Amino acid sequence: MVARMRPAFRGTELGLIFWVALLVGLGFLAVIGAGASALQASSLIVPATFVAVAVALHLFLAVRGSRGDQLLLPLALGLTAIGLVMVERLAPPVLLLQQLTWTVVAAGAFVAATLIPRDLTVLARYKYSWALAGIALLASPLLPVIGRELNGARIWIGLGDLLNFQPAEAVKILLVIFFASYLEENRELLASAPARRLGSVVPPLAYLVPIVLMWVLAMGVMVLQKDLGATLIFFGIFLAMIYLATGRATYALTGVVLLLAGGSLAARVFAHVGARIDVWLAPFSDELRFGAGYQLVQGLFALGNGGLLGAGLGNGMPDRIPVVWSDFVFAAFTEEVGFIGAIGLLALYLVLVFRGMSIALRAPTPFLQLLAAGLSFGLAFQTLVIVGGNAKLIPLTGVTLPFLSYGGSSLVTNFVIIALLIRVSDITVRVRGG
Amino acid sequence: MDVPYQIALWGVRLAFLVVLYVFLIRAFGSLWRALRTEAELAARPALAYLVVQRTHAQGPRAGERLPLRTISSLGRDAGNDVVVNDEAASARHATVTLSDGAWWLEDQGSTNGTLLNGQRIVRRERLRDGDIVEIGRVGLRFEAAA
Amino acid sequence: MIRPIAANIRSLTLVIALAFLATSMGVAYWSLVQAAELSADPFNPRLLATLRDRPRGAIVAADGTVLASSARSGSGYARKYADRSLAQAIGYASYTYGTSGVEAAYAESLIGRDAADPISQWRARYLGEQSPPASVRVAIVPAVQRAAAAALGDRRGAVIALDPRTGGILASVSQPGYDPNLIVDPATQDLAWQQVNGNVGKPLIDRARQGLYPPGSTFKLVTAAAALERGLDPKAKIRVDDPYQADPSWGSYTVKSPSQAHGDFDLSLAFQRSENIYFAKIGLQTGGARLAEYAARFGIGSVPRCELSAAKGQIATGGQLDRPILVADTSFGQGELLVSPLQMALVTATIARGGSLPVPHYATAVVDAAGNTLRLIEPGALAQAIKPETAATIGAAMVAAVEGPGAFAFGARIPGVRVAGKTGTAENASGLPHGWFVGFAPAESPVAVVAVLIENSPGGGEDAAPVGAAVLRSALGR
Repeated sequence: MVARMRPAFRGTELGLIFWVALLVGLGFLAVIGAGASALQASSLIVPATFVAVAVALHLFLAVRGSRGDQLLLPLALGLTAIGLVMVERLAPPVLLLQQLTWTVVAAGAFVAATLIPRDLTVLARYKYSWALAGIALLASPLLPVIGRELNGARIWIGLGDLLNFQPAEAVKILLVIFFASYLEENRELLASAPARRLGSVVPPLAYLVPIVLMWVLAMGVMVLQKDLGATLIFFGIFLAMIYLATGRATYALTGVVLLLAGGSLAARVFAHVGARIDVWLAPFSDELRFGAGYQLVQGLFALGNGGLLGAGLGNGMPDRIPVVWSDFVFAAFTEEVGFIGAIGLLALYLVLVFRGMSIALRAPTPFLQLLAAGLSFGLAFQTLVIVGGNAKLIPLTGVTLPFLSYGGSSLVTNFVIIALLIRVSDITVRVRGG
Repeated sequence: MDVPYQIALWGVRLAFLVVLYVFLIRAFGSLWRALRTEAELAARPALAYLVVQRTHAQGPRAGERLPLRTISSLGRDAGNDVVVNDEAASARHATVTLSDGAWWLEDQGSTNGTLLNGQRIVRRERLRDGDIVEIGRVGLRFEAAA
Repeated sequence: MIRPIAANIRSLTLVIALAFLATSMGVAYWSLVQAAELSADPFNPRLLATLRDRPRGAIVAADGTVLASSARSGSGYARKYADRSLAQAIGYASYTYGTSGVEAAYAESLIGRDAADPISQWRARYLGEQSPPASVRVAIVPAVQRAAAAALGDRRGAVIALDPRTGGILASVSQPGYDPNLIVDPATQDLAWQQVNGNVGKPLIDRARQGLYPPGSTFKLVTAAAALERGLDPKAKIRVDDPYQADPSWGSYTVKSPSQAHGDFDLSLAFQRSENIYFAKIGLQTGGARLAEYAARFGIGSVPRCELSAAKGQIATGGQLDRPILVADTSFGQGELLVSPLQMALVTATIARGGSLPVPHYATAVVDAAGNTLRLIEPGALAQAIKPETAATIGAAMVAAVEGPGAFAFGARIPGVRVAGKTGTAENASGLPHGWFVGFAPAESPVAVVAVLIENSPGGGEDAAPVGAAVLRSALGR
């Protein structure tokens, strides 16, 4: 522990944070200059506070002597900066201040996740505790006192009046920790071909039971809560991690087939699922364009107005998209910054994911490899699901665009993910004898 | 709104886009440099192993590389991560753990003790590349990426 | 041997990269490939952005009557429409329900971003500047429009009148109609939209350009043109004996004469009495391929070139006239033919103007706020469809069809003017036959063409002819 107290110079990180500060400043200037939102105290407080938080997080890592990756924090902050600019552009002022509050909370969560647990590898020890914690958290919105119902979905918990939290977001992390530790222990058994194990007492599929059970529980709660997006994200992470551990594509392919079968069944059984499929297939039809398909149609109009260079920040008309600051941030961003800007944004996500995956590649134990790869995959998958939904490539599900969308639960969760990835890379550097 | 103002505003918008791309290119450059240096590192094994050096007829095969998990248990029992088939080994003999950015060897109260580089260990000892762990008649060399 | 996790990570990363690539391509599809189509979509709110805070350009009739205007109301502006009978042609511009008709086709001009003025478009998009809106002049003549609406009454159907010299649309009525003022008023819009959109009579559809019907005997203009250009002598007598069957292979199927005729017919008499057997015979002589070719030359089966969307219709379900019974049926306008009233008006206008197909248009000019003409809309005519002599021969036969002794289309007569016309009574699956009338006047130098369609009309063409006469009379100022 003594070594950790020696401060580290994190020059790359600081250099990149300088550009993030410039980005948030220019973004706010453009939005306010265009008259898209009025100049008021919050227009100055928000970027200033954000830059202060960004520098504070950098100093925290430097003073602590983290030798972990220097790219992840600036990338996360850069995306958060774009998110704040878009919230200022699109959402009512009260949401901007809330989002800033959440950014501070997320920074706190980042610090906490860097310090606790003191030794990251203890996560591998208590795998069933994590699984149980995840299930409890997932079910918590159904509890009487802390459970909250917002916009018809009972997927929130809250203690105060303002800060409501969606536990499904945090459950993602617990799920990845559980899968990583369970699969580290049992991956050989799962990966071995059944034929080769004919003489053995236990068929390998039996080792899938705890994992499948965990998954069924998660799915059950999600179906009860009608949270389609989170169900999809859980399932994606589940399949990806089984593939990562075993290298057997048949598991993943079986899972995809199950997903499609389950999806078409759900479309018939649950009206809200069927409605989404109908909207996806023909949003422009006369029956849907002013009804269930309105949001998607308006989102596509926004994409279409973007063109190559965009209408200019603050100069577009994405305001007609219902709850644009949550589900359709990407479409709004594309409208105003154009295809060029959209590609730049997607490339930032891709660099982030690549970085996470390269940390996973180097990690010294299977658990840490699976943990880093699983968390990175979760970020990538969620980005693809919501951007694909905005662009009508897949049915729209209400998941957030990581770091960009308005919403505290998502921001806090994603900063914890970044903290964990930095810790994995820190361990890797140290164990390699740095 | 008058035209010079609008042109200035477009200057800001363009600057936003340029900064977005400068940030992206710098981030990508940093990733690229890291991947290049890591490509060399990745040529060597990133994971840690115990390699069987000295054994006997009923023990593990000589030269076998046993991969280490975050927490690996060593002992005679078949449920251990590294099974050491030796009369002198206890059912649960020792553990090798990754913790605080280093690998550690710890005796789990075995009857005959665990030797690290010929010395019997009494508390948690740090493992370094090339260290020899002995349980009974079985000798294992710790191998980790540098 | 188990695959190392590192290898799985590499594979998964590759899959993620490919998925990002596919997603980028999806974004490119909407923001680049589909951009133009999306921005012109009549429901795109970007075209309506200024509807409430700024006046939208006016739509003005040929005589200066304002058909659509923005009036101050409360905190903003509200759209007002002067003539309910133009609901489908002029359309509406609703903040909630998008735009239709001329309001949609000239949406950009009406908010000050006319295509002829790229600088204003550029300024609006990139500088947020709004040029004062332009107004759109249309060819609609309110007197003719009133006559058409009054003559049709509340019978389901459509009337369309155009100037054969220019292609400008003088009047356009589609029944049942609706009140566009209710759809643009925020207080009434939701209920009005629900009622109009859900109505079984489909009032939102402009029957004049989007309704498709079998043309009945009005199609005989096309059959005659195809036969004449193949060498038919219009004076030659052809024997008609009711009922007619070309050969026994037709089985129980026969072509029937509307007047149970037994006698000799030439082209003029066949037009007068609308003799199906005569046209079946000349159609069979001409052949299915040639008949289909002429129908296509007259624009049937293809989308008319027009600023407003129009239906394309069909010559036959399979596109070809390859069976003798189908050729015979098509020759007198039944078979599998489907046409819109606009298409029949264009066929008639082609005869009236000596053989070239005019391009229909609603608007005639876009005029900026200062009164300068930004652009004239004069699409002109397409290539010659038939020879001038052919057109003249058919025109004369159409005069006989109105003015001759025992003419079926006698109802279209106007004292002191020679009217050319043709009625049609189209059998259809939905009940009573549809009544048709197409015509133009004056026959020597036509200034107006009309097409009338009345759905499920007991008297068929006889009901439609007086409507046509009323419209022509009004167009001639009588």
